[in-house]
Amino acid sequence: MILKTSNLKYKYKNGKTINFPDVGLNPGDKVLINGISGSGKTTFLNLIAGAIKIQDGDIELASSQYSSMSSSDLDRIRANHIGYVFQTLNLIPFLSVLENIALGVKFSKTRSSNIGSIDQEAVRLVDSLGLDKSILNNSVNNLSVGQQQRVAVARALLGRPNLILADEPTSALDVDSKNRFLKELVQTFDPSSQAILMVSHDLSLAPYFDTVIDFGKANV
Amino acid sequence: MFKLLFKSIKSRLLPISLVTITLMASMVLLLSIERIQQATEQGFNQSISGVDAIVGPRSSSLEVVLYTVFHLGRPTNNITMQTVDDIRTRDDIDWLVPIALGDSHKGFRVIATEPNYFKHVKYAGDKLLTMSSGKVFQEISEAVVGADVAKKLDYRVGSDIYITHGSSDAIGKKHDDFSFKVSGVLNKTGTPIDQAVFVDLKGYELIHIGWQSGKKIFGLDRLDVSSIPKEDLTPKTVTAAFVGLKSQLTLFSFARELRQYHKEAISAVIPGVALSELWSIVGMVDKGFELLSWIIIAISLISMITLIISSIENRKREMTIYRANGATPLYLASLVVLETILIALSAIIGAVIFVTIITHLASGQLNIALGITPEFQWVSLEEIKVFAIILIAGVLSSLIPAAIVFKKSLHQGLN
Repeated sequence: MILKTSNLKYKYKNGKTINFPDVGLNPGDKVLINGISGSGKTTFLNLIAGAIKIQDGDIELASSQYSSMSSSDLDRIRANHIGYVFQTLNLIPFLSVLENIALGVKFSKTRSSNIGSIDQEAVRLVDSLGLDKSILNNSVNNLSVGQQQRVAVARALLGRPNLILADEPTSALDVDSKNRFLKELVQTFDPSSQAILMVSHDLSLAPYFDTVIDFGKANV
Repeated sequence: MFKLLFKSIKSRLLPISLVTITLMASMVLLLSIERIQQATEQGFNQSISGVDAIVGPRSSSLEVVLYTVFHLGRPTNNITMQTVDDIRTRDDIDWLVPIALGDSHKGFRVIATEPNYFKHVKYAGDKLLTMSSGKVFQEISEAVVGADVAKKLDYRVGSDIYITHGSSDAIGKKHDDFSFKVSGVLNKTGTPIDQAVFVDLKGYELIHIGWQSGKKIFGLDRLDVSSIPKEDLTPKTVTAAFVGLKSQLTLFSFARELRQYHKEAISAVIPGVALSELWSIVGMVDKGFELLSWIIIAISLISMITLIISSIENRKREMTIYRANGATPLYLASLVVLETILIALSAIIGAVIFVTIITHLASGQLNIALGITPEFQWVSLEEIKVFAIILIAGVLSSLIPAAIVFKKSLHQGLN
């Protein structure tokens, strides 16, 4: 199993507490978390990413228990095992497309060692995500939003991390771009070693996933 | 890390450049003041050595040193040759060289003296005055010129020169009835000596025959100069006399006794003491400038930190992306600290280059204004200390934005 959450509970500063459902992901799993704004979707991703510390319950990723880990251990877990795609503004404007993709392995020797050459792997990824490899040396400012999201996916997949976390990655895309993006994402990830966990309020994405968890019904 | 840092800085080049320039300019101000003050002091101190005392009319000791050594200002009074001869015969005197000032040649001061001036007056510690060509004047119609005079006026041994009565060609009248022939050109000393014309005291007396109260009554062309006995050309008064004592231990008693000399109001000025007075006056002004410069540096450092703190909000996305890819809070904080170090180092390197250019230009100006040619070094130990203080202050103050970044990245999610 790649990911397993158990009895996760998070209390915000305003006193609001969310009890998250237990989630388990095996290699090849594609899970969509659906829910309205404020249902805790992004908080759930942040907890799994180790960006905020768990308060109650536990997360197990790549056989490591978060409850017994320090902040720096969580940073290492994130660097080695998680690829992250944001809703928008995924890319650093002063870096080229290739340099943005290469950030995926910059902080992880584990992910670096999973691939031979960053350049070759980047070419393979952008190609399989339907992008022209000639864009690799371009500035990211010249890309459309859809292209930027696909570059962000290429970065998240570089070095074959176990878990791809995506936070509303299609919210800024039109219908065609959204469908293309998801199609290419599920085609490009490696089901033998990777799992996808995406949050979105858009239930029309459900056909691309094996499981849909509705956070609207989570215990708030 | 450095590649990301450089690219990030490049994306914010204008504000970072402006802050770097501000910091550099404040350092340039501080270092320029320090360097010019030190070089001027060194130049002044090196301008005269080997002279234990300067005997002159009783007035401010600083004034006497300024007009006899640095050719700044004008002598207000003279001392009689009788007094000079009285002092010359004292037991504690090793040597004495009288000098007479007042005339000029094409803007350069004329110093009338005796040939032994070149034997006893030294510069830069213990360096003797040496000739690049020719020899010390032996005849009353001969002159020795300083290195700058020879270079600027293209004089060489054998050149004829006319002296102007008074300190400037514009206001003085030329002693056009008697010319001096250059007998020697001095090597460069980096002191006011380079900008002086030396003539024999007797020759100087000769050209003033027929002059009364600064006006020519009759010219030398009416006289048979060769028939005038040399003894009659001994001047009645001189401006001052440089004195070397047999023992330095008698210096203060010599000075005290001269103050009590009853035939004339004279004093013996100790050059080192007079210059110390000058530096204590200049030093106070210099300290004020120095304090002001440090305040400006502090303001520059504050503006640098203000810029970095204000840019944190703009760089929030950049930091979040690094975090999402596994960067630790320490890595992000290090980026901020390194950015500060880079700005401070760039400012320091820029400051060294600019200060070197400025001091090089100032060297020329000091040579024109004061006759001294100070030597500047690239970076002194004191300056390295100043740079280290600024660098440490910069790094310490960068810990504020670094701590903000650290705290934010630790407690904020990937939003």
